[in-house]
Amino acid sequence: MSDRAIEFDNVSKSYRGARNYRALRDDVRAVGRRLTRREGANERPAAIHALRDVSFEVERGSATALVGLNGAGKTTALRLMCRIAYPSEGSVRVWGRVGALMEVGTGMHPELTGRENVQLYGRMLGHKSAEIRRRFDAIVDFAGLPAAMDQPVKQYSSGMQLRLGFSIAAHLEPDVLLVDEAIAVGDAGFQYRCVERMSELVRTGVTIVFVSHDMSAVETLCDRVILLDQGQIRADGSARDVVASYLREVHASRLEADPKAGAGGAYGFEILKVSLHDATGAEVASVPTGASVTIRFHYRAANDVVKPIFSVGIGDGRIGVFALASMLFDGEAPELLRGEGQLDCTFESLPLFPRTYEIWASVRGSSGFGDLVDWQRFRMLGVEGEIGGSGIGAAAHSLEDAPVKLPYTWRTGGDGA
Amino acid sequence: MSTAPTIHSTPPAGAEPRPQVIDSGKVGFSDLGASLRELWHSREVVQAFATRAVKVKYKQTAIGLAWVILQPVLAAIVFAIVFGRVAGVSAGGETYLLIALSGTVAWTFFSTAASSSMDSLVDDQHLLRKVYFPREALPLAAVGAALVDLAPGLVVLVVAVLVGGGKVSLSWLTVPVLILLLIAAVTTLGLFFSAVNVFYRDVKHALPFALQLGFFASAVFYPLEILPESWRSIYAVLNPVVAAIDGLRSALLKNALPDVGVTLAAFAWTGILLVLAYFMFKRLERSFTDRV
Repeated sequence: MSDRAIEFDNVSKSYRGARNYRALRDDVRAVGRRLTRREGANERPAAIHALRDVSFEVERGSATALVGLNGAGKTTALRLMCRIAYPSEGSVRVWGRVGALMEVGTGMHPELTGRENVQLYGRMLGHKSAEIRRRFDAIVDFAGLPAAMDQPVKQYSSGMQLRLGFSIAAHLEPDVLLVDEAIAVGDAGFQYRCVERMSELVRTGVTIVFVSHDMSAVETLCDRVILLDQGQIRADGSARDVVASYLREVHASRLEADPKAGAGGAYGFEILKVSLHDATGAEVASVPTGASVTIRFHYRAANDVVKPIFSVGIGDGRIGVFALASMLFDGEAPELLRGEGQLDCTFESLPLFPRTYEIWASVRGSSGFGDLVDWQRFRMLGVEGEIGGSGIGAAAHSLEDAPVKLPYTWRTGGDGA
Repeated sequence: MSTAPTIHSTPPAGAEPRPQVIDSGKVGFSDLGASLRELWHSREVVQAFATRAVKVKYKQTAIGLAWVILQPVLAAIVFAIVFGRVAGVSAGGETYLLIALSGTVAWTFFSTAASSSMDSLVDDQHLLRKVYFPREALPLAAVGAALVDLAPGLVVLVVAVLVGGGKVSLSWLTVPVLILLLIAAVTTLGLFFSAVNVFYRDVKHALPFALQLGFFASAVFYPLEILPESWRSIYAVLNPVVAAIDGLRSALLKNALPDVGVTLAAFAWTGILLVLAYFMFKRLERSFTDRV
């Protein structure tokens, strides 16, 4: 039984009301209403349920991530683990000493020097000053700030504060280390060392609970991922499975929220709708990886349009599109558009990773200048498929990183080959 | 990771695998023992907060700690002129300046400690939301930091007494006891109102006014002897600051022991309030972060 580090037993947490402090007059008024039994006597501000009846256990020496959209209850769960807040119902049990890094600059006082802050923060985390002095060099060394220790922290950059904070939390021998999103602020080299350090701690038996939106870090660092959704556990399992289902869900919700709107344009020309069709011509919202897709523009031309130039792009939410079909370079153009009609653009094959993409398009006049329809996003396109790889970051990479899937091979050369 | 030394994670103590339980239960009187043990275990946190307060207070001031001495001395001089000369408050035999100085030294400590401890939780609310430590560490450290200011004030008072012709006597040994009474009284207020302040920020606005009243009610610039004799004892017990200040005057200015009965009764009364205040604090503590 003692191989547990953390246990949540039917835990709920709700916050009363949206305002976070009261003035005495509000309560006096409420008491007055109750006494006079006036209307609204039992009226209470709506409670916010951050966690609802959540139960789980975390094994000692494991690395677990909590993921979910903003407001899912991840940070609330961490706060309960380190006694910053108490549950409204149920109980949380934690075995061993907790070290937590909840935010950049946690526990730092801007007027004190780095050295003084190490002592202050270390003691807040429950350490004896002798112990902190013993670990001082390791802390400073890891943070890479030996020259700045006698400067007040207000002169530090946020990156320096973060480095110092993480270094203190990670070097003072916690049994359970809670890390909330914080390392995302550090530069790449520091993030690498953080993840290395956390893996090292896990190997020595420290339990880590990690909250992050960085699915790649979650998947590579954690054995287990718990997906929270509106205060409840939605999925709980191996990092790869849960990260995959979470990202798929994010993509699915984007597809669902897609307004699929048309767009008006200049000169009485408008795109009424953009539909997607598979190889059989059936209307679809998603196609399998590698299959063909036809993007069909339903237009209405109030006036005759001669040789308009269509451009269609596929993007993944980052700036710019990564694939483009444009009459500006292929030289094609319909002779004349008049009244209502359709125009198809077919991509023969989409060698894309399975996720949600955006369809962008514009229509220009025959000279190439002057937009009939501005360059804009029209709708989403789903691509479905399995996560093929077996690498430690396969799910996050397939579902989040570079979108185009090209065949490739590796070969190691040099002396070893 | 060649730089990082090996980690000796604390063995999870097979002997006593007792977890920290964080639940929705209410704190009862029987939990106070455990709270005090935890506080004792975390005494270095209190010390660290107090050190921080002292350091931060005098960073970027030109004359630094000299302010600690100047404040009560200047106040005493002003009182000596205003009340001693102009208003003609009776000094009951002693030099009025010493009456005023003993009052202001004690009162400066009391009001500084009271206001900084009452604001301590709200001022450090970002800490409450990010790190766990026994929450009473903040108001206690505020009192501790004010104590650092009290020490030079007491030295000035002693010097003034000697310069004024006073003699060192055994009665001076009661001074620490009287300071302890002041500490107990201000800690009571600090614990109670720092917690209430989290829920009702009205405390912050009422505080300067309340301290002003307290100043007039606490025999700071007048000797207790101006009250009718029958009232003095009960007044000094109910307002332990009066007992402490009057005791200080007996010990330092009159070379007489403070009234033992009054002092003990004031301690008992303050002690009861202190326990209640601590209980209230621990009970409210669990919802601090829901509210700050």
